[in-house]
Order: sequence, then C-alpha cells, then structure tokens
Amino acid sequence: MVADWTLKEVTVVTDGPDRKTLLKNVNMRFEPGKITLLVGRNGAGKSTLLETLAGLREVRFGEIKLGETPLWMKKGRLKRLNAPVLLQFGLSMQHSESQWFLSTARAELLYSMKPYKVTAKEAEQRIERAMASAGLDAELLERDPWTLSGGQQRRLSLACLLACEPEWLLLDEPTAGLDAVGIRSLCAVLEVHRAAGRGAVVVTHDIGALLPLADAVAVVEDGNVREAAPAAAAHAHAAAAPEALRALAALRGAAALPPQEPAAPARSGGTPWPSPREAAAAAAEQLARRDSGRAEPLAAAAAHTPPAAAQAAAAPSGRSPRADTFDPRALVAAYLLLAASLLAQRSLAALALAACVTALLLVPYRQLLYRWAGVIRAYAYFIVIVGAISGIRFRPFAFEWSSAEPTVLRLCQLLVVMLLGMPMLQLVTPLRLQRSIQQTFGWLARLHIPIHSFALLVTLIFRFIPLLAGEWERFAKLAHARGKAITPLRSVPVRMIYAVIVPYIRSIVRLAEQMADALEARGFGLARQKPTYGFRLRLGKPDFLLLTVALLASAIELIIAASL
Amino acid sequence: MDFTSEVELSAITVKPIAFTEQQQRQEPILKQVHLHIGSGEWITLLGRNGSGKSTLAKVIAGAAVEGLSGDVIRSDPSGRLVPIVMQRPEASLVGSTPWEDVVLMLEQNEAEEERIAGLAEEALSLVGLGERLHQPIGTLSGGQKQLVAIAGCIAVYSPLLVLDEATSMLDPEASALVLEQARAIHAKGTTVIWITQKLNELNERDRIVAMQDGRIAFDGTSTSWYERVNGHEGASVCERLGFDAPYTVQVAWELEKLGLTLDPFPIVPSMLAKAVSGYGSRLDA
Repeated sequence: MVADWTLKEVTVVTDGPDRKTLLKNVNMRFEPGKITLLVGRNGAGKSTLLETLAGLREVRFGEIKLGETPLWMKKGRLKRLNAPVLLQFGLSMQHSESQWFLSTARAELLYSMKPYKVTAKEAEQRIERAMASAGLDAELLERDPWTLSGGQQRRLSLACLLACEPEWLLLDEPTAGLDAVGIRSLCAVLEVHRAAGRGAVVVTHDIGALLPLADAVAVVEDGNVREAAPAAAAHAHAAAAPEALRALAALRGAAALPPQEPAAPARSGGTPWPSPREAAAAAAEQLARRDSGRAEPLAAAAAHTPPAAAQAAAAPSGRSPRADTFDPRALVAAYLLLAASLLAQRSLAALALAACVTALLLVPYRQLLYRWAGVIRAYAYFIVIVGAISGIRFRPFAFEWSSAEPTVLRLCQLLVVMLLGMPMLQLVTPLRLQRSIQQTFGWLARLHIPIHSFALLVTLIFRFIPLLAGEWERFAKLAHARGKAITPLRSVPVRMIYAVIVPYIRSIVRLAEQMADALEARGFGLARQKPTYGFRLRLGKPDFLLLTVALLASAIELIIAASL
Repeated sequence: MDFTSEVELSAITVKPIAFTEQQQRQEPILKQVHLHIGSGEWITLLGRNGSGKSTLAKVIAGAAVEGLSGDVIRSDPSGRLVPIVMQRPEASLVGSTPWEDVVLMLEQNEAEEERIAGLAEEALSLVGLGERLHQPIGTLSGGQKQLVAIAGCIAVYSPLLVLDEATSMLDPEASALVLEQARAIHAKGTTVIWITQKLNELNERDRIVAMQDGRIAFDGTSTSWYERVNGHEGASVCERLGFDAPYTVQVAWELEKLGLTLDPFPIVPSMLAKAVSGYGSRLDA
C-alpha cells in the first residue's frame, strides 16, 4: 500500500542572513496513484517545493509526512532525515544529465540501488527492466556515462530512478532538452508507474506535453501553493498557456469557432482541450454554417494573442549596500590606514578600545559580516585554545597570563584586522577591482609586464569562485538524493567525498571550458596593444568621506596606543 | 552596420576525439555538411538529441572544434568570432551587474571608449533591462540573464548571432520574451541561427534546417516542413523526422482531411484563425 504525502503548514526560508521566505504555510496532499504537476514561473518556488519534499531543504516550520511517518526526526536539538522515508522516493533534479560518479552506466545503476540492499540477482533483473523502460540499449551499460549524448544521459538518470523501484517519483523539469521521442517514452514510464498504484510529483514548464497525463495540478506562485483543476491551471497561465489553448482562443477570436467555452470536462484522452480532430470538425462546422448565410461575413479579425508577459519583478533587496559606492583604491587606502593603527596597539586594553572604534565604523556594514559568522567563531575558539596552551607552565603546573598575553594580543589584532577586511570583498565588484589595478599599475605594461591580462584574470577568478561554490552545493544535494544520506544538508557525507570529488572536478572543468568558449566568442582575448576603458574610476565625495573617517579613526587609535 | 554576414560551409566533417578503441568506432558528429547562410537570414536549426546541431552551431560561429575538416568561408573580413548564447547563461556572464557585463564585452571588443557606457545602456534598455542596469546578476531570473547575454551581442553589433537552445531552461513567458527580442534583432538585419526543440517557436518566414545523424535532413521553408505529401498522415518531413507538430498544425492537418486546404498553411495560432475565417472568401469575390 503506497502512502500519501502530506505537508502541513510548511515554511522554508533561505540560509543566508536575510532569511527570505521561499515557501510559506504550504498545505498540500499528494495522493498515490496520481500524477501531480507543479507549475509556475521561474523562481516561483517549484523546485524548492520538490527539494523540500525530498528532504534537501530544511523545514523552518511545519511538518512533512509520508503516510504516518515524518520526514524529519527530532533528536534533541538536531534534526535528522528519516531513512525509511528516503527509500520510498526517487528524485531527479534539474540538469540530471551531469551527475555521474562512476565509470560505467552499470556501476551508476548499481550505485543508485545500493541503499536498497537488493541481491545481486535481483539487481541484474532490475537493471534490465529499467534500461528497457527508459528506452536504452543494454549495450550502453558498459559505456562511460559521460560519453553518452545529452538525451541518453537523461534517460540513464531516469533508469537509475526506476531501478530503485521507488513508490514516488519526484522529477524536476524531466522534459527540458528532451526530443519528442524522449518525451513520449517519459510519458509512457509515468503511465506505467501510475498504473502500479504509485505516485509522481513533476515540476514542469512543458504543460502541453504533460498536462494530458496529469491527475492533479498545483500552481506555485511567490512561495504559495494552491491546487487547481488541470484545465483551470492551464488557463491561468495566460502567455504561458499551451499552444493548444492559444490556438483555440485565436480561432474563437476570429469567430472561426463557436464562442462559448466547451463546458464538458470529459474530453478524449483526459486533455482539458479538444483533440485536433474535434477542433477541426467544430471549425469546419462553423464555416459551413457561415457559408449557409446565417453568420454575418467575417472580417479577418485581428487574432487575439495573449499579451506579452509582464516581467517577474524580482526587485533588488535594496538593503545590502551597493558595490559601486566606493573607489576600490580609497577602500584599500582606508583599510591599510586602519589595519596599521590596529597593529600598533601594544596592550589588550588598548586593542579593545581601538577595536571599539573600528566596530563603530563597521556598524553600517554589519550585514555583510553575518555570512562570515562561522569563520569568526572558529577563529575565536582558536585564540582561546592557543592562548591557553601558550600560558601553560610545567613544574609547577600553572597558567601564566604574562606568557600567554603576547600571543593572544597578536591573534586578537589579526582578528580585528580580518573583521575589517571582510566587508571589503562585497563593497567592490570584480570589474571595478580590475579597473583600479589597471589604473594604478597600468604603467607597468610599458615594461612588458602583462598587467592588463593579470587584471582581467582577477575579474574572472572572482566571477568563478561563486560558480565553484554553487557547483559543490549541487553535488552535495546529489549525494543526498542518490546516496539517501541522512547527514546535515549542504555538506557531502564523509564516506561520499571520494565518490564526489572526481565528478565535481570534471564538472568544474566542463564549466571552465564552456566559459572559455563563451569568452572567446565574446571577443575576449584578442591581441591588443592598448586596453579600452569603458569607464574610469574617479575619486568622489563618498571616497573622500571614507578616507577622512579612516584618518580620524586611525588618529584616535594611535593616540590610544600612545597613551595606554 | 554595413557589413555582410554570409557564411558558406562545404564538406564539413567533425570526428569525435577518440582515446579508446570504443570511441574510435563512433560515427562522425557531422558528415559532409554543406550549408549556405545568407546575410540577414533567420535559420531555425532543429534536430533530435545528439544529431549534431550544437556542433554545427559552433562551426558556424567559428569556435574551436576538434576534429574539424572542410571549408568555412565567411564574408565578414574582420575574422572575429560570432557570439553564442547558450543554454546556461551563468557560464558566459562575467560582470556582476548587467551594465558591467555589457561594458566589459564592449571593452574587450575595443569599442570607442566614449561611446561604451552609452552603447551598453542602450542595448540593455532595448532588451527591456533598462531598469535593472545595476542589479546584481545573481538576483536576475534565468530569462533576464539570457537577455543580458543577448544585449552584449547587440551592443557589439555582431552581424551574426547563434542562440543554442537559449530557451530550454526558461518558463514559457520568459521563453516568449527571449524569442521576441531575438526576432527584433533579426528584423534590424542581423543574421540569426536559432537552435531549438520547440516547434511552436517557428514562424512562417523561417528557413528551417533539420539535422539527423550528423547530416542535414531538411532545408526549406516552414510550410514545406509541415507539408503532407498527397495529404497522407505521417507524410510530412516533420513527422518523418520524429517531431511532434504543434496543436495549430495538427488542427490544420485535420481540416485538410475534411477537405479544407488552408492557404497559406498556418504555423502559428494567429495564422490559423486568419486562414480559417478567411477561408472561401476569395472564391466568393
């Protein structure tokens, strides 16, 4: 008996300091034996909902249950995923075609089945069945999954899910990038799955292809989820409506079809619109009626096309300071001034006072510090431990502050200097940094030092770092989804690091390759004598203000250093 | 913009890089492809997964392709590469705001310094991002990121533009917006190669090139793409190559079976409505 899936008052927020709400008070029930589509705009929260169901996102409030079993178990302060629940579903995330860990397709299939502990014989049979229903040749089993075409890789990832024979299939954009044949075989798989009394939740934009299959549709909008009848959901999408509805609307607009909405919901094949044959018959009938003289002659009425979509207004959060307020050169100068005067402090008391002055300067930028909280805390522990060790004296065993003090002072100075530097990264954009390097050190180019290439490299590295982090997070999710791990989220379980590291590097190299191709195509890397500047940095009012404040603060700190 | 962007491909063959014996047995990705791209054309490039269309696009754009043989002749003498807008925009955006990205691209393409900022802002407002010049790239939606990439291409006046499944990761509304912008650039004279899996993105004036197993299986108008020889079901090129025709076309085929042959053959909903409502009126006149 397949259990149903319930969400009660589920709220999910982002991990960052701003705790943006992604899903709010979602109440939902997914029934077995049904295919439920999740539809909505990009960024509405569809994928978040699917990942929440699969335990890849922590639930802030509310509860998720499969049957009577909760997805999350509380153990004191810690929440852990409930392993038996994880085994009942298979999740395929976006870009499921680049998730391979191992060297053959067979090994990938076996890897997916590992948490299910099936016997070797059973596994063989399952592999055979899964490959067949995903529409893959058995001879591909020994191939390196990375050498398969994009479409074949997508099918293989489906086969990996099917081999586990999960009761629930959770699919994110399964039709993206699939050709018509691939979409048809996907639909067949879903139908078989449903016929066995199992359930599926599918996130999709491709309403035209999947709506005919769907038993239920949920519309996700700004983190809210509401159930909708399949037909209504399709209509609710205006410009996003499937081609069929737009065609019918256009025909009606030109009076080529009777104007009223065909009310009967019982349509052939379960689609909420008439089949092409039915539509054609109705149009022909209407034409015949017109030609028999009852209808007035038709001007070729301008067909009604849905208005172009209003852009999703993802307004910038506005709260975080803009990255182009200050000239990077002014920032660096201010930083050096303050850092020097902090390092000049000779006692802990003086440093504490100077740190207070520094802290005042950081107040407007405190938001930028939150994300470093973990690092700051770890460093503070480190100071305490190192301080304690350096103060220990043997014979007699005792703790002596005087020998610990210099170490602690030095480390604390570094901590404050570090704190000062942290917001800087976010107050400068890579391009402005590049320009400041070029403007300050551009003269080096005359000495045949490739300073401009170096400056561009700095920009690219800064651009690449977030991509690296994002990719790692994706692999952490994959490790959870495929390995059914119950360790904390966003980290790769230790036993899987070995399995993840190679595909991660592979994926990064591919990304770098794509980026290099794209940059080349965009004209980067042309040989040139003189750099072109689309804009130049100029010291402005905010910069002088910043420098004045930094000068004042460092003067105060130096006075403190001298007097204490 | 007084340059042409003709491209002539002859006998293009691309063999996959082979490290193992198994790989050496693989078929070439492109086999003896001949293609002429005229200045100002819109070509919709279709093909199933693995049919070689992305590789062909790279060859057209002049990107480095391993194992390439054959001739590529272009009329643009500058020898610069053609920008490709890809599926995943993250990989090609370098700036941290739309403004920075387009400025950087103009700088790298050595535009006139004084005009760069103006050109960048103009191009971005043209694609509807005028309000978001300084918004961090990370907070833009997928569709908006694609528009930033397209704006860069507009700003450098690229005579030829390749969009490789630029809408496959987007929702239908964002897809429509990106397609609309690409059409607008084309209307101003740019040659566009539009690669897609979605047949409802076709339009009646498009030239369609369909790839199959590394060869060009069809090259013609969208009307002939859907034309059923003698009205037989399954007889159109579209069906023979394994594509699902959009609803509009299916209705038109059904009407054909009922004896109502529409002229011109409708590709998009508005054409269908016009053709049906105007049916027979010319005979009366």
